[in-house]
Amino acid sequence: MKTLMIKTHEAWLEMLMAGFMSKTQNKQVLFDFSDILFRHFTWLENELIALDVTYNYDRDTIPIKVERLSDLLNNIVKRLDVIDLQLLSSPDKELDARIASDIHYMREVLKNMNDEVVTAFSMERVFPGISLTQEATDALTLFLFEETYKEYELIMIYNYLKAHSNDAYMNRIFQILIDESFFHLKSFGDMGAKMGILAVPRVVMKELYQVEDVVQFLKDGIDEELAAKEECKRLAEAVAKDSFELAKFFDFINHQENYHIALMKDALKHFTGEANG
Amino acid sequence: MNMDAQLIEHMMNPKNYGTLEGADVQGIGKNPENGEKVAIYLRVGKDEDQPYVEDIRFQAIGCTTTVVAGSMLTEEAKGLNFNGIKNLVDATIKLLDKLPSEDAACSEMVALAIKAAVDTYEKRQEDPDYPIITYKIVNSCVPKEEMKQDEEE
Repeated sequence: MKTLMIKTHEAWLEMLMAGFMSKTQNKQVLFDFSDILFRHFTWLENELIALDVTYNYDRDTIPIKVERLSDLLNNIVKRLDVIDLQLLSSPDKELDARIASDIHYMREVLKNMNDEVVTAFSMERVFPGISLTQEATDALTLFLFEETYKEYELIMIYNYLKAHSNDAYMNRIFQILIDESFFHLKSFGDMGAKMGILAVPRVVMKELYQVEDVVQFLKDGIDEELAAKEECKRLAEAVAKDSFELAKFFDFINHQENYHIALMKDALKHFTGEANG
Repeated sequence: MNMDAQLIEHMMNPKNYGTLEGADVQGIGKNPENGEKVAIYLRVGKDEDQPYVEDIRFQAIGCTTTVVAGSMLTEEAKGLNFNGIKNLVDATIKLLDKLPSEDAACSEMVALAIKAAVDTYEKRQEDPDYPIITYKIVNSCVPKEEMKQDEEE
């Protein structure tokens, strides 16, 4: 069961990376499939929790550097085959049947997908249609590496907290934060692919998501969101003279952090109120 | 951080990232200022002379610069005997003055984590229950100009 969850985690990320690499109508299909695999991952996680099995979010490195999309899609199909076999070891046969049905369909779609040349690893660091100074390019590069990982980290943290909470109010907040982080992850991953610097986020250390003090985590989280706003503001300023469009995008992301701060303040109020009450 | 192709390659594909199955020992480097840390995992081999790093992995709670420093230093550490590791740590620490403070803090954290792993290994030769050593860095992650500004405010 644990292996099944790890393999599903890897397949989810690999599918997401394939979505970033695509420049055609394949992209949305690959994103939708990666969303489905993420949901499989949460189903399997909930099953592990129900069975009282200890687990973590460790996984193997996922090699994604390919020249053609079909190379990666073939790898994903192999990974889906492994998951299909692993499903036999799972005790919840109804869940297995649901997952197997999705996997069989995805496998067929992937096998018939039109091939594409992949430029997501060119390392050219040129944003299509925009000419940035070296300084702005470096700032954007660093931002994309930092924030792509950060959004993945947040998804894993909120997902773990949600999986271990029966509080509907908190879970609503965690789910919105997961959804928001997914939007940011997809935005930054897409930009990374366009710049030729696409990379799989590194594995998150256990102590980050196995949160012992939720109140402190939320307080630190609010501070981090405030710092992220400043980072977006700095980046918007750095690219403003070269690209109005990019500057506006980072202003938009900056203002989106206000939702996260409001949600985390709400969660903090609810959690401390409940803890004190 | 000045970015060349080698640096970007370390960002895209950090070498030796993750935990190490069958690791003999672990060491921690920590930034007390902000809670960032680096964990080093070593598998230690033994030749006639002295122990050496058979395999090494690292994990980080930190920024991209820390990951790049971890990727570079663990690559250099692989295969070195413990004297070589001590020289690598010393050479890294000596270079820190030449780096911007935030880069220095990241490199110091990795170097001290490697030192902590080696020291823990040596302590455990006498006391197998010796706890994992954590070394704290002295460099600040905050750029000097920002520190100066904060002091003036």
